[in-house]
Amino acid sequence: MENYPFSENSINSSIAFRSLVNATSYPGRTFQINKLNKPSVLSNAAATILITLCDNESNVYLSKEYNTEEVRNWLIFNTGAIISNKKNADFVIGTWKSLLPLNEFKIGVPEYPERSATLIIEETKYKKVKCNIDGPGIKNKLNIDLPNPELFIENNNLYPLGLDFYFTNDLEILSIPRSTKINIIKSEH
Amino acid sequence: MNEMSKNENLDIQIYNFAYLDENTKRMIRRALLKALCIPGYQVPFSSREMPMPYGWGTGGIQVTSACLIPKDVLKVIDQGADDTTNAVSIRKFFQKTANVAVTEKTSDASIIQTRHRIPETKLKEKQILVYQVPIPEPLRFLEPREVETRKMHALSEYGLMYVKLYEDIAKHGHIETAYAYPVKTNGNYVTDPSPIPKFDNPKMNNSPAIQLFGAGREQRIYAIPPYTNVKSLDFEDYPFEAMKANFKCSICGSSDSYLDEIIVSDDGKRSYICSDTDYCKEQTKLNSKKED
Repeated sequence: MENYPFSENSINSSIAFRSLVNATSYPGRTFQINKLNKPSVLSNAAATILITLCDNESNVYLSKEYNTEEVRNWLIFNTGAIISNKKNADFVIGTWKSLLPLNEFKIGVPEYPERSATLIIEETKYKKVKCNIDGPGIKNKLNIDLPNPELFIENNNLYPLGLDFYFTNDLEILSIPRSTKINIIKSEH
Repeated sequence: MNEMSKNENLDIQIYNFAYLDENTKRMIRRALLKALCIPGYQVPFSSREMPMPYGWGTGGIQVTSACLIPKDVLKVIDQGADDTTNAVSIRKFFQKTANVAVTEKTSDASIIQTRHRIPETKLKEKQILVYQVPIPEPLRFLEPREVETRKMHALSEYGLMYVKLYEDIAKHGHIETAYAYPVKTNGNYVTDPSPIPKFDNPKMNNSPAIQLFGAGREQRIYAIPPYTNVKSLDFEDYPFEAMKANFKCSICGSSDSYLDEIIVSDDGKRSYICSDTDYCKEQTKLNSKKED
């Protein structure tokens, strides 16, 4: 049993999901995820999102660094997910740079805005720009660092269509859904 | 040995944690997260048959089931009361299938499933309020075709709703709608707040808690994230007004909580009591402390 991602699957998936609910409800704030059995290249947080949400109806795009046999086997064995291209992906995993440009991912259609990709951004070694965010789930404007904030502004302009982002770092998760408004404080050159 | 006693002897877990199987929960969980990303938009989901009839909270129960964790403290209310049939049976259902702690106290609960009320006690961050929703589509009684209402939402074409409210004013001199009063969520989607009295509408606006809505028969899930603008539809010259019966609770004396009218004698004598039983108890306690 110890090779399964979660010990006590139904209990630990529920706890993982609660962290996702909290992260999605309160954008820009960091929430904790528990450890699980996963391929070494994936962070605990990113692996948790995939295991908690994916099944045989989910199309998953793995960027170059994550498209390894180990990740593919782990994902398919545990969730039955379909490894897909950018265009059809429901879930996307990769480093920030490897996922650009963002316009290849699906943003939903006016009648069904939920048919859009969820992007999981691994590792934090991107060029950071100080921003201040506002919108649903944010009590007072929050200051956070984002890569290429102009892309998040563009994404928010598509609202109610658009992409939803989770930033993952080891045991931490932070969300920027499409509803979040971004203001650039200052760009670093 | 028959099947039943075999299970008892081996203490086999008959249900998955919180009843629903993992695959169903995944499907609901994906819908819930997208619902939180698009406040007020109704996400279709493949609702399951639950061990209770439609109209008894099958949508709410599926949402609660997908959200529950072992250390949750669950509160269930029906029209504000913890002790009505619907509330009692849903609470027992999750005690049996998820073995979670339960409470009647709003401030102690981490998840509150509700039918047709928002508790009077102010909700806190990370508390989850799960609404049971009969008809999730606010435009349904104006436009029966799903294809059309979907298009109307996509185009933010809500003229029909305003005409309905206007006709109310033309006929009755004020907006007649007293419950399920339509709101606009995050300045975008017109949303059905479920059949809560319009007295409760202002509590949805900018709430620190997470509000999730489940409609089982209609197979829709939607959400209002915390700190989200929720505006009750109105006109400049006929602004929205939260209203309640202009009396005091005959148990706790509160004049600012929502009241139920009850008939107390054979000749039709009326009395008013708080619809929120927990709030009423708290007020009664506070009153007796003051007297001491």
